[in-house]
Amino acid sequence: MSTNLLAILPFIVPLTAAAVAILLRRRPRVQAWWSFGAVLASFVVTTALLWTVWRGGQPLVFQMGAWAAPFGISIVADLLSAFFTFMTQLVFVFGFLYALGAKDKAVQHNTFYPLFLALLTGLSGGFLTGDIFNLFVMVELVVMAGVVLTAISDDRYGPEAAYKYFLISTVASFTLLFGIGSLYASYGTLNMADLARRIAEDPNQPLLPAALVFLAVTFAVKSAAVPFHFWQPDFHTASPTPVSAMLSSVVVKLGVYGFMRLTTLIAPHAEWLRVALVMAGIAGVVFGGLGAAGTHNVKRMFAYSTLAQIGFIYVGVGWGTPQALAAALVFAFNHALVKSAMLMLSGYLASRAPVKSASFEVVRGIGKYLPSAGVVFFLGSLALAGLPPMNGFISKLALFQSGIAALSSLRPEEALGYWLPLLLIGVAGILTVTYTVRALIKIWWEPFEPRTPEEKVKPYGDSLLAPASLVVLCFVLGIWAQPLLQLSQDASAWIAQPERYVRVVNLEEGVR
Amino acid sequence: MDLLRALAIGALFGIGLYQLLRRNVIRTAIGLVTISNAVNLFLLSVGAYEGVAEAYAKAVGQRSDALPQALILTAIVISMGGFAFVLALLYVISTRYRTSDNDEVKGLRG
Repeated sequence: MSTNLLAILPFIVPLTAAAVAILLRRRPRVQAWWSFGAVLASFVVTTALLWTVWRGGQPLVFQMGAWAAPFGISIVADLLSAFFTFMTQLVFVFGFLYALGAKDKAVQHNTFYPLFLALLTGLSGGFLTGDIFNLFVMVELVVMAGVVLTAISDDRYGPEAAYKYFLISTVASFTLLFGIGSLYASYGTLNMADLARRIAEDPNQPLLPAALVFLAVTFAVKSAAVPFHFWQPDFHTASPTPVSAMLSSVVVKLGVYGFMRLTTLIAPHAEWLRVALVMAGIAGVVFGGLGAAGTHNVKRMFAYSTLAQIGFIYVGVGWGTPQALAAALVFAFNHALVKSAMLMLSGYLASRAPVKSASFEVVRGIGKYLPSAGVVFFLGSLALAGLPPMNGFISKLALFQSGIAALSSLRPEEALGYWLPLLLIGVAGILTVTYTVRALIKIWWEPFEPRTPEEKVKPYGDSLLAPASLVVLCFVLGIWAQPLLQLSQDASAWIAQPERYVRVVNLEEGVR
Repeated sequence: MDLLRALAIGALFGIGLYQLLRRNVIRTAIGLVTISNAVNLFLLSVGAYEGVAEAYAKAVGQRSDALPQALILTAIVISMGGFAFVLALLYVISTRYRTSDNDEVKGLRG
């Protein structure tokens, strides 16, 4: 029982800490350091969880309130959940580090840290829960925390972005509820393991395709897959820097995780879902790359770039071979690190610019005074574009290798689903180089021309520590990628056997 | 009865979607609440579909499936919080943009 308790700690710790942080609202410094300590503690617990699950070879299951499996809420930490939770907590440690050194007014707001912890709670809980209605609750927690954090942003368009996203994502939550209701009407259970078992027994229920479409739409909206992406650049541009770094790197991964569960556990038979994912992925790669190449704001450029990177991940998930799933996991991890670093860097640039904005007009040429940020930005661009020696190279290499491996074992008429995406994402990958180089030239190469004589680059700004350490981590993962590759291969081998997940949740027999 | 329920859910959802897509910000908020009611009614009828007795049965001694009602309770609480927040946001937006027209709230366009 005591090791099983590890499965709930990654979201119980930040939840409790958020409640205490509300009580500390009159002492801002104490509140900030308390929250940072809490996120460190929660990161340590998550690392222990990942280590236990990986080394033990068994998922940890915690039955809330000791209710037997299909009746109560099960918290199931298998390797996929533990992987995503670890990634989230790692990135959040750096997010809190950035927030501690940030000069934003939003960060000084006394509800900032409780909400930031609530965002972490929702994400970790969403990754770890084994109950589909509990997933809805956690998704709502993520949405509410993210929207409120954006609404208190320093950016004057914060409330507008929050309003837009809130309407869209609430409608998406309603479709999730419709999906949950349809599944419950057809199979009489909300437990994911129980659902997987019952759907495998009887995949011809009339409401099942509708339920799958509802769930897929929800996850697509949450992760900004391309036909459902329209809210994303606005929302990720207007939020405060530490928050937008989290939104664009790990919050969108909740949808990726949802699709991974959907295609491997709940509905492994739904071939059309995988085809749709590959198509959405290619559209995302092309559209996100083109969008990023045409923006007028550094932050917005990286928000668009997230569309493209999520597209790469979805191509891997859609292919669905164990190797491709492992590549998608590696890609997700590396993207989380590099995208949070780049968004923090653009926030840093905005904080040093004469006017607080990351628009190219404002930050043009200010790089002359920020050489160290230039080094970090250059290395981060290499990682984003997938060039060695950074980790982005490893993730793109893994993805292409998995595609080619799947291609060589197929008949020519089946192979269209592989070589066409390979070709398209290869070409579209070049777009990444285009837009990052464009940003580098604009900020570090062109001369600084103040619009009024007294306009100067500010002598102080946000701390560069968090993005720099993230980029160092990207570099380390680029030259020493073996542990991450091994971990993701193990995780994809686990999710290839859904019956293992079902067995371990230990369902009561003969219910209903 | 099944037909009546289906029609009610469909009508509520349609009205909600129509209001959500209109230009007035208050109508948008009303549309959100209407859709949430459609979802709750749907969840209620899910319970009626599987339980021994329907959720609104008058007969004594029969039980209906209680789980969807617990789900509805949770969904109502969450959507109430969201609705309160969206009203606060609407207040901020209408004072900042001096308009009640969704199409005029376009500072981020471009």
